[in-house]
Amino acid sequence: MSDETLTLEQRKRLQEQVLVKHHLANILTHWFNVAMWLLLLPTGIGILLEKTYPASSTAWNDLMRQIFGSTASLIYWHGVWGQIWIAVLTFNIFVGFRKYFLTFASTRMLLDKDDLRWLMIKPWHMLGLRKHVPLPPQDAYNAGQKLYSYLVVIGSFWIGLTGMIMVYSEHIPTSWQWVIQWAMPIHFLSAGITFAGVIIHVYMGAIFPEERQAFFSMFTGKVNGLYAYLHHRKWYLRKMAEKAAWEAEYRRRYREPAQAEAPQASTAPGTASADAPAGD
Amino acid sequence: MADIKKYGFVIDPRRCIDCRACLVACRAEWNTPPGQTRIWVHTDGPQGIFPAVTQTWVPVQCHHCEDPWCVDACPTGATFKREDGLVLIDEEACIGCGLCVNACPYQVRFRNEVTGKADKCNACFHRVDRGELPACVATCIGGARLFGDFNDPESPVSRAIKDQVVYRPITPEVDTGPMTYYLSPPDASAVQVSPQPRKDLPAEVFWRKWAIPIVKVAVGATFLGQAGAFILQLLRGENEYEDGAV
Ligand code: HEM
Ligand code: SF4
Ligand code: SF4
Repeated sequence: MSDETLTLEQRKRLQEQVLVKHHLANILTHWFNVAMWLLLLPTGIGILLEKTYPASSTAWNDLMRQIFGSTASLIYWHGVWGQIWIAVLTFNIFVGFRKYFLTFASTRMLLDKDDLRWLMIKPWHMLGLRKHVPLPPQDAYNAGQKLYSYLVVIGSFWIGLTGMIMVYSEHIPTSWQWVIQWAMPIHFLSAGITFAGVIIHVYMGAIFPEERQAFFSMFTGKVNGLYAYLHHRKWYLRKMAEKAAWEAEYRRRYREPAQAEAPQASTAPGTASADAPAGD
Repeated sequence: MADIKKYGFVIDPRRCIDCRACLVACRAEWNTPPGQTRIWVHTDGPQGIFPAVTQTWVPVQCHHCEDPWCVDACPTGATFKREDGLVLIDEEACIGCGLCVNACPYQVRFRNEVTGKADKCNACFHRVDRGELPACVATCIGGARLFGDFNDPESPVSRAIKDQVVYRPITPEVDTGPMTYYLSPPDASAVQVSPQPRKDLPAEVFWRKWAIPIVKVAVGATFLGQAGAFILQLLRGENEYEDGAV
């Protein structure tokens, strides 16, 4: 993505900036989640028999059963890993509820006006149309990523709940058997729809060139200022304002004289000056 | 004796005296919870007008069908058919959903109230594998219950049906290939013995009509979408200075 309003100098300065996008807790949780999906999805598909789910294949069913020894132990391990997945995610949310989850939900999931506009314009751009209509500035996550977060949160909730129902089904009285019966298609449906989202997510995250910075940020936690400015401007500006405020506070604390900064051509990006508009 | 066995039952209702020793033997063998049983002796009560009164008792258990609908319905593969024809339940793989209970047209399945798993006659496969008879058959003093290998012409079941008129409990709508041959018409207890057509449960309908198509379309569309985008990306090539903003 390019932005013709930036001079080459500004691009270069922006590129040298480093912004922290992901906390270590976030990175570890993300890759833990990925690892569990890599265990749970193949075993889950292996449980589904071709006769009931025409989409699955007998060859895969047999392979999984051979690896695990039997149908029962395949189901057993799928259930054990599923419970580890649920336990760790629940624990992380519980422990970091105020510090991470609430901030995540409020700054990275809530949709604002710009997001709604973005959602109305982006599909046209993806079809190669209406390229002249600019996308509204986005926060740390764009509206598409925010929607994907809802999908993952809601999908994971239903996958976990229905999974627990099936693992502990023997404690459910026969008069409540319909709960077990409904747990199966809901488990399948939530996992399937979430997986459909994951397909796009992995493409955008790992392969799509414009998002390469985001991919590395899921390991290092960091992105450069140019990517942040071009893709996540509101977040970039807010971070800059936060940084400037912190620096001013620091100087006040240590009675350092404010450093005279080289005069800027404009309040262009790439400066950590306090007068940068504070996002939203 | 054929290599592959084909196990099944032969039942002679004329020989059953309703002593229910078979039910006791089955309960002793499998410790079925009180109030639940894997086998039955059905009757429609006395028929006819005195003095021409008759009453027939029909021993019933899972028929270990050739085309078992319970196996088709089971989502986990916990219910399966062995090569020798016995239809068994792997309790460890069973999640007690009861789809098989609903699917069996003979109502011979139930959910065990203690284990929470599907339950039914398994023809005492552990005894059969040792060369013994199922507990009910071994116990039956009237010789009304027989069990054996239909592929072996010398087995008690093959000999019992040889040159006999036999009745299989099937209807034009429902034919699961039950491996029980009755030596007299079981229609005295028609209600309990003849198969009832199955109806899908709401969750099964949702599963087939909605869950599977939705997931297929969603996964298919997103997969094709990203594949298309990837091909475009390869055709366009990357601009290392712009794209990645690296
Ligand atoms: C190999 C597979 C995957 C890769 C390469 C990948 C990559 C990424 C990247 C690069 C980001 C950061 C995006 C940004 O900062 O703009 C991200 C965020 C996210 N990913 Fe993935 N991802 C993968 C699998 C998954 C799976 C399987 C799920 C869930 C089912 C998932 C759920 C999420 C969620 C909810 C976020 C946003 C929340 C956060 O910041 O942690 N990812 N992923
Ligand atoms: S009688 Fe019912 S439970 Fe037994 S094999 Fe046939 S369909 Fe399954
Ligand atoms: S109750 Fe058990 S055996 Fe019956 S359909 Fe469900 S998982 Fe299969």
